[in-house]
Amino acid sequence: MSRRRVLVAMSGGVDSSVAAAFVRERGDEAVGVTMKILARTETGFGCCGSPADIDDAKRVAERLGIVHYVSDMAEIFASKVIRPYLDAYLGGTTPNPCVECNRSLKFGHLLALSEAWGCDAVATGHYARVENGRLMKALDPAKDQSYFLYSLDAKALSRAEFPVGSMSKDAVRAKARELGLKTADKAESMETCFVPNRDVRGFVAAHADATDPGIAAGPIRDRSGREVGRHTGLASYTVGQRSGLGLNGPEPRYVLRIDAASNSVIVGGVDDLQMKTITVGALTFNGERNGGTFRAHVRIRHRHTPAEATIELNKDGTATMIFDVPQRAPAPGQSAVIYSGDMVVGGGTILRGEP
Amino acid sequence: MTVYLDHNATTPVRPEVVDAMLPWLRDGYGNPNSVYSLGQRARAAVELARERVAKLLGASDASEVVFTSGGSESDVLAIAGGAWQAHDETKGKRRKVVTTKIEHDAVRLLAGQLRRRGLDVLEAGCGADGVVDAAALKAMIDDATSVVSVMHANNETGVLQPVADIAAAARAAGALAHTDAVQSLAKVPIDAKALGVDLLAVSGHKVNAPKGVGALWVRRGVRLSPLITGHQEKNRRGGTENTASIVGFGLACELAARELAEAHQHAIALRRKLEAGALLIKGSRLNGHPDLRLPNTAHFSFDGVDGHHLVVALDLEGICVSSGPACSSGASTPSHVLTAMGVAPEVATGSIRVSVGWGSTDADADRFLAVLPKAVEKLRAVGAPA
Repeated sequence: MSRRRVLVAMSGGVDSSVAAAFVRERGDEAVGVTMKILARTETGFGCCGSPADIDDAKRVAERLGIVHYVSDMAEIFASKVIRPYLDAYLGGTTPNPCVECNRSLKFGHLLALSEAWGCDAVATGHYARVENGRLMKALDPAKDQSYFLYSLDAKALSRAEFPVGSMSKDAVRAKARELGLKTADKAESMETCFVPNRDVRGFVAAHADATDPGIAAGPIRDRSGREVGRHTGLASYTVGQRSGLGLNGPEPRYVLRIDAASNSVIVGGVDDLQMKTITVGALTFNGERNGGTFRAHVRIRHRHTPAEATIELNKDGTATMIFDVPQRAPAPGQSAVIYSGDMVVGGGTILRGEP
Repeated sequence: MTVYLDHNATTPVRPEVVDAMLPWLRDGYGNPNSVYSLGQRARAAVELARERVAKLLGASDASEVVFTSGGSESDVLAIAGGAWQAHDETKGKRRKVVTTKIEHDAVRLLAGQLRRRGLDVLEAGCGADGVVDAAALKAMIDDATSVVSVMHANNETGVLQPVADIAAAARAAGALAHTDAVQSLAKVPIDAKALGVDLLAVSGHKVNAPKGVGALWVRRGVRLSPLITGHQEKNRRGGTENTASIVGFGLACELAARELAEAHQHAIALRRKLEAGALLIKGSRLNGHPDLRLPNTAHFSFDGVDGHHLVVALDLEGICVSSGPACSSGASTPSHVLTAMGVAPEVATGSIRVSVGWGSTDADADRFLAVLPKAVEKLRAVGAPA
């Protein structure tokens, strides 16, 4: 096979560093690209695409002897990822910005750019695999990131490469050390890369309109509708959350539901979090769309063990997913990803859960 | 094969320049300020280079040439050195610096720093053609002005500026007239005396000499507050002379002086070819005055394209151009020069600068023109994300 040109999306972390190394080692032309996702003034500390990470990616590229470019995608990132993220929190749901970033940026705009640049594929440092055009879980279940990639379409999957998807994190770090890459022992990026210090509440408040109802205080109610406390704005809460409610009482209470219409947070006991059924919208499927009703495993959050469910496709384009065993705290806004064994069948966005 | 069309960023060092430098990196290591003959030989080489640089600047008196580390240092020595000297000599009466909105960042950022440190800094704009508004600038000059600084040719658009006119006004007001002639040297004739300036900055690496050497021409009698203190360069710039690079710079100026007319013709023929070809692309335009320009520089905008992404596309085909100064950051922000010209941001970010020079060939232009239309077309297809 002739030498291919592969764009490697280099975040400045160890995984994409090693991904670039593999592309180069196998003899392909690796083109390193770091997306600059934040405008200069709002660079978060330790944030992907922040100058320090761009520098790290550059140093790795130099070490590997590959070209490296920075592409300013701050505007697209703001409109495609940050804005929906804010809107979700302000509307009382829990967004999944990584899914959107993978879909719209890495395997959206960057993929389109890669074609204009004559690249045959886009490689990233994700822990996932592509087999016969289908997205598969990573070999290392602890690192699997297929959850964040489920919405890639067939075209994206035909051009996506995950060079570390069959490796363990330890093996990736060992490889990076062997190559003398400065990112070898770099800390794992956690939480949401563009939110400084993991302060979601602060980030949302700083970016929201001061009059946005999503940051207005309101009642915390129990399941009977009785007001049991006050909340500081819907954007600060997620289904399943226990801490930060400021409630007294003998039993621990958890957020069961966020009702944007009445600006209230509904709480209950731990058993009330168990949901038998979820309704999922914005569905996408890899490969042929399974009609009617079928059985599969469904993952409702990153690192959740996929649970067996019966899936019914509804006429309105949503799906009803009925778990064999109720699952704890599916959060509206999070993704529900459908698996058949290791293969990602499709997925969508959780609209609501029912006991 | 690299097709290098970014001679305004830097230039290849000519082989004869490298050859002339090598002895001064090997056996000729003496300090030009030393008494013994090893030092004297280095001194002689530095002084020969000074004469050669002076000649290309139209200066009869070589001692008016001060060697520096490059164009940026020369600019800062001229402007900050001149401004603080005048400020101190007049006990703060002359506290105004007048410059333009289209200067190189060395000047632009210095202007901001001087302003923060309490001086009055005024910046004149330019027309849509990129020519500085001389009338507006001259109206800013008064008897409180210490330094007036206007670049000789703009580094992005290549547009030549009305330096002589402005310099006359500056000097009439008792202010120092400085020009950043970094981009003009060896491309168009420069005559510091005829321009009527007091200070003129040039750089080695833009004229096929190495990086790290430059010069400031300082009219005899002009006093500056040094940036780097020390006795070298007649107390005007401390630090042991960079003998090898100065020798290289000198020879490059000598060669440029000899070949100026020929180089001018060569550049303008290539530029015209590049322009004719590039402007065949739909939705393209040439930025800056069509005629009042350096012979080697063409600045294009292409609708619906990110200039930085176009630079990457061309690089992947082995062609070097730039999308603006300091574009390595990847920031697709419109250049201050195009903004000053009133170019809309979305047009400005779709720009590239193509600059030819020594060693550029017809084949380079052909290759560029063969690749460009396709690259533009493909990037337009990417467009803005839906």
